[in-house]
Amino acid sequence: MAQFDLNDDSVVVIIGSGAGGGTLANELAQKGIKSVVLEAGKRFDISDIENDEWTMFQKISWLDKRYSGGGWHGSVNHPTLPAWIVKGYGGSTIHWAGVALRFKDFEFKTRSTYGAIDGANVEDWPIDLEEMTPWYEKAELKMGVTGKTTGMPHLPWNNGFRVLAEGCRRTGRSDYRSGPMAINSVERDDRPACQQIGFCMQGCAIGAKWSTMYTELPRAEDTGKCEIRTDAMVLRIEHDSQGKANAVVYADKDGNQHRQLARVVCVAGNSIESPRMLLNSASAMFPDGLANSSGQVGKNYMNHTTGGVYAVLPEKVRMYRGTSVAGIVGDEVYHDAARGFAGGYYLEFLSLGLPFMAAFLEPGNAGWGRGVAQAMEAYDRMSGVWVLGEDLAQERNAITLHDSEVDQHGLPVPIVSKTPHNNDYEMTAHMYETSTQIYEAVGATDVYELPAYPATHNMGTNRMHADPSKGVVNAYGQAHDIDNLFVSDGSQFTSSAACNPTLTIVALAIRQAEYIAQEMNAQNI
Amino acid sequence: MSIRFHRLRKSDEDRVAMSRRMFLMTTTMAGITTNAMMGGTAFAGSGVLNEAQSSSLLRMVQDIYPHPDVLQLSHYEAIAATVMKNADADADVAKSLTDGLGQIDAKAQELFGVPYVEIEDPDAREGLLRHFQNEGFFQGVRWTAYFGIYDNKDIWPLLGYEGASAEHGGYIDRGFSDITFVPEGPTLEERMAEVQS
Repeated sequence: MAQFDLNDDSVVVIIGSGAGGGTLANELAQKGIKSVVLEAGKRFDISDIENDEWTMFQKISWLDKRYSGGGWHGSVNHPTLPAWIVKGYGGSTIHWAGVALRFKDFEFKTRSTYGAIDGANVEDWPIDLEEMTPWYEKAELKMGVTGKTTGMPHLPWNNGFRVLAEGCRRTGRSDYRSGPMAINSVERDDRPACQQIGFCMQGCAIGAKWSTMYTELPRAEDTGKCEIRTDAMVLRIEHDSQGKANAVVYADKDGNQHRQLARVVCVAGNSIESPRMLLNSASAMFPDGLANSSGQVGKNYMNHTTGGVYAVLPEKVRMYRGTSVAGIVGDEVYHDAARGFAGGYYLEFLSLGLPFMAAFLEPGNAGWGRGVAQAMEAYDRMSGVWVLGEDLAQERNAITLHDSEVDQHGLPVPIVSKTPHNNDYEMTAHMYETSTQIYEAVGATDVYELPAYPATHNMGTNRMHADPSKGVVNAYGQAHDIDNLFVSDGSQFTSSAACNPTLTIVALAIRQAEYIAQEMNAQNI
Repeated sequence: MSIRFHRLRKSDEDRVAMSRRMFLMTTTMAGITTNAMMGGTAFAGSGVLNEAQSSSLLRMVQDIYPHPDVLQLSHYEAIAATVMKNADADADVAKSLTDGLGQIDAKAQELFGVPYVEIEDPDAREGLLRHFQNEGFFQGVRWTAYFGIYDNKDIWPLLGYEGASAEHGGYIDRGFSDITFVPEGPTLEERMAEVQS
C-alpha cells in the first residue's frame, strides 16, 4: 500500500470509505490519481463478520455520542441512536442489505412534479435519469447487480418473500421480484454466489454482497495510488487565504492530531458527519461553516418515510432463512396527488432475527408485556416488509451542533432532528394499509405495524442545486463556494426518492471521479 | 406498534386459562425452588433482596415477557439471578431496585389490597407494572429480561429461531424455500429469461 507524506499537497483527501468515499477512491486510483482516505473507524475484514445481530451491532455501528431531535418517535425511543450506520473500513456498505434500485425520472424532478408543498423545501435535481442512466449502468456492473445490465438472474425466492409475492399476486399486483440486488446470484468478480445465509445487514460472511470493504478499498490500495488510514477521525477541513481547501486535520486512535495537506478534499462521511465536518470547519472567512453561503449545510435532512409491517401466517414461514431483503414490490412507486400525498413508496421484504424483532416490534419503554410476548411466540410464522418512500426535504429537519456537549475528540455533538411532514403521515397510513391487504390475502391472522427504525438511509444535508443560493453543491457534487471541495455521499441528494440510496451514491461517485480527473488535468482544481 | 388482531385470535377463555395455569405453576414452583432445591435461600443468596422481594422480582420478570407454554421457570430464575447479581455489585442499582419493588407493592396494596405477587389476574399485574415502565429500575429489569430471553441462544430454538447459518453453508440447501402453502418462486430458467429479454 502507498504511504503519502503529511506534507504531500498533491493528494486528493477522501473522508470516509463507504459507498461514496470507497467508490471514489478506487475510481481515482484506477485513473492513477493519488488519494489518502481517512476513515474514522477500525480496519475490518471479512473474518470480522459474524451471524449475530447484537454482536455485530456493537462491533460495527457508529456509536459516538449523538442525539435524536424533532417530533419523530425516536426522539423518545431512540434518544441517542438517530441513525443506524457503520463506523469502519467499508462504512455502511458492510451493513446495507444490497438493494440496488435506480431513481425514477420524476424523482429527480420533485419540485416540477409535486409543485411547491407547504412546510417542505422540495427542489429539482440539476441532473435527471437520462443523464444518470450510463452511470447507473457502470455502477451496476461494478457492484454486480442482478438484472439486465449484468445479465445476472435475480436471486431465488425465499419463504418470506414467497408469502409476500403470493399476497401481491392475489391483490392484482404485477411489480414484485427478487431484485435488483447487488448480491451475486452466480459467482462473479472473484466473489461467490449467495448461499442464503441471512444476516445480510450484519455483513455478508462470504462476500456475495457488494461492499467496499472487500472490493473497492483493497483494489484501490493494490494500485499503490491510494493510502487508507483507519482510526482517523477528521476534526476539521482547513483552507488557504484564497479560500481553497488545503488540509484536513484528524485525530488518530490515540488522540494525536495530524494535518494532511490536500489538493482536493472530498467529504463522504454520511449525511450526519459530512455537514457536521463542514460546520465544525467554520473560519474567519467562512463563519457559518465551509461551503455554506446558501445556509443549506446540515438542512433538508431526509431519511425516508418508513415503517415496518409483520404479519403472522397460519403456517411456519421461518423468514430468517435466506437473503434479508429477498424481494421488492414496486407497484406503489408513482406520484398521484389523489392518494393524498406526494411521491411513491416501495415494500421490501425484510427479515429480522429474533433478537431484533423483539427489540423493534414495539420500541421504547412500552415494548414488553403479554402483547409483545404473544407476538414473539409467532415469530417463526411471520413474514414482513420494510416500507420506504419519498421523504420531503424540510429545512427544520437538520443536523445541528450541540451548544455545550462535546464528543471524545472535543467536537460539538450532533443533534439529528426529524419531524415528519403531514405528507409522511398520509403516506405511512397508505403503506400500512397496502401491506396489510397483501398479507391478509394470504391468510394473515395478526398484523403488526412498526414505526421507523433508526435511519440507515440518511440524505440531503449538503444538497445539490443548480442555484448556489438553494443548495451546497453543483451537479458534480462540487461545492458552489469552494472549487476543490466535493461532497461524495448521500448528503448531496436533492430529494430522497422512494428507493434505497446506495446505487445512486455509487453512480454519482463514479461520475464525480471522471469530473475530478478532468478538472485536475485541466488544472482547474 | 399498533397491533391489529384478526380472525384467529385466541378466545379470552383460552387466554385466561393459560395465564391461570402459568400463575399456579410458577407460584408453586417458585416455592419449591426457593425452599427445597436451593435449601431455603432465595436465588443462591442475594445480598440485597429479602425473600419476599426476590419473589416479587421473579414474578416481575415473568410478567414482563410471559411465555407460559414456552419457557421454564428456570429461565426466569436465571434472569432474576442476573438482576440480583448486578444489584449486589452496585449499591445505587440495589437501592433503586429495592425502592422500586417497594413502590410496586405499595401501589398493589393501594389498587388491589394485596401485595403484587398475590394479584392473580395477569392483566391486572401488567397494568400495575405499566405505572412503573418509565422508571430506571423497571427498564433495567426489562432489558435484562430481554437479553436473557430473546438474545439467549439456548432459548432461540424454543421460539423457532435457528440463529447463525454461515458455518452450516447458509440455508441454500437447508430449507430457505421449503414452505408449501404458497406457490414456489420462478425457476432459474424463468429468472434468467427475465433479465435477458
